[in-house]
Amino acid sequence: MAAISVHQFAQCITCHAWSPDHSMVAFCPNSNEVHIYRLSQDKWEKVHVLQKHDQIVSGIDWSARSNRIVTASHDRNSYVWNLEGSEWVPTLVILRLNRAALCVQWSPKENKFAVGSGAKTVCICYYEQENNWWVSKLIRKRHDSSVTGVAWHPNNILLATTSTDGKCRVFSTFIKGVDTKDSRTGTSSDSKFGEQILQLDLSFSWAFGVKWSPSGNTLAYVGHNSMIYFVDDVGPSPLAQNVAFRDLPLRDVLFVSERMVVGVGFDCSPMVFAADERGIWSFVRFLGERKMASSGSKYGSQFSEAFGKLYGQSKHGVSNDAVEPSRSRGGVHENCINCIVPLRQPGISTVMRFSTSGLDGKVVVWDLENQADLSDYL
Amino acid sequence: MANTLRLYLTCIRNTLEAAMCLQNFPCQEVERHNKPEVELKTSPELLLNPVLICRNEAEKCLIETSINSLRISLKVKQADELENILTKKFLRFLSMRAEAFQVLRRKPVQGYDISFLITNYHYEDMQKHKLIDFIVQFMEDIDKEISELKMSVNTRGRLVATEFLKQFI
Repeated sequence: MAAISVHQFAQCITCHAWSPDHSMVAFCPNSNEVHIYRLSQDKWEKVHVLQKHDQIVSGIDWSARSNRIVTASHDRNSYVWNLEGSEWVPTLVILRLNRAALCVQWSPKENKFAVGSGAKTVCICYYEQENNWWVSKLIRKRHDSSVTGVAWHPNNILLATTSTDGKCRVFSTFIKGVDTKDSRTGTSSDSKFGEQILQLDLSFSWAFGVKWSPSGNTLAYVGHNSMIYFVDDVGPSPLAQNVAFRDLPLRDVLFVSERMVVGVGFDCSPMVFAADERGIWSFVRFLGERKMASSGSKYGSQFSEAFGKLYGQSKHGVSNDAVEPSRSRGGVHENCINCIVPLRQPGISTVMRFSTSGLDGKVVVWDLENQADLSDYL
Repeated sequence: MANTLRLYLTCIRNTLEAAMCLQNFPCQEVERHNKPEVELKTSPELLLNPVLICRNEAEKCLIETSINSLRISLKVKQADELENILTKKFLRFLSMRAEAFQVLRRKPVQGYDISFLITNYHYEDMQKHKLIDFIVQFMEDIDKEISELKMSVNTRGRLVATEFLKQFI
């Protein structure tokens, strides 16, 4: 079994992030708070509650080297939290947004972070020492709809975004004073902030979950039309591949290695995609067991019984694990998985472990160690 | 007769499995608001193509999806005037108590008899296959209930008329 640990933290989890040493996990239990739990002697205990937002927290990212947490919420605000002593202290971020913030990610050097928003803009934030706050530069008038996902290229300059207008775009986010021009990258002509390098119009439905491969050579994102798109040689002449699969759409992806991608979504089970020697991507299999959903109804033909069952069930919510196996969608998660986070060991670029969280309130850690058929892609 | 009902319900079930992929999405038009996009229809890029499944001219089901909500509208078979009145009264009775059912809409969509509105909050609280089972079971039972009501109206009418006319014999 690929899932090595399952824990039910809340009724529903929006997003989660791990601390640098993987001992603590921060997540949003579908409310305006962020809960941080620590694993001590096989038991999870709540150590901190970060309360500053007014609405649901839609994105959390925990930086690996500087140990800072950035949170973004539907109340148009974002905060950077620093651990001082035993308390997490928020620092104000001037986002200048007039709609909700949907996603957030630290850049690889952790001197900037990007926030995608419902105002059809992307905010790139950097720290201003004089005033002790984070200021932002906005990428405006480039997106036609809400920005659902952001991903940083390993060179700390390029940023890929996906939006509900179905397009994936790559921008340059060079900021004078924060970034240094690297003569090796050869992209000096694109060093203007907010310059659009590339626009991919492959999906005719909403696009989510964009990620770069570890080398930055390949880009992957998903469309709501049950397709996943792989783009090689991102630049003036990109090479795109579409992989269609017959199951429900995905929400997020993760590059486990240069040639293997794990996608998670409405199917409640992670899906593995891999590229063969020629570089052609295809669907490999699901991770974990997959049981077939039985469509027979076990209720009586009385109205009240049917309504009562649904109403009674809704009180227990999705934490009712006594559902018979034939009725579950299969696997470890019982509801849509909406977040996948790598658990990187320092120094190793291949991800052997990752965790997923979903609307069923569980955080599941998966391990690819003993998956024999997948080891040649790693 | 029962065969076509099975096919109709299976088709609706499969469509709902695909359409019920909802997520929390804040409003793009108004800050700090979260509204079901299928009801507002202000941003056309957030709506998906509606699907209309017809069993025959009299019975159909319209499924409209958006990024955070799903609307299912049903038109129930009404063979004669009596069934017309019974359906209207019965479904109005249910719609007025829409809060108890949570997923029911208070007013049916124009041209249909009853509507359901399922939002991402229902999707988070309840299980997807149970929601779909509920809708399909509802459709199965509504036909039975209307015929039962019709039969009981006719029976009662016959009894009352018999009793009344007895005095003239």
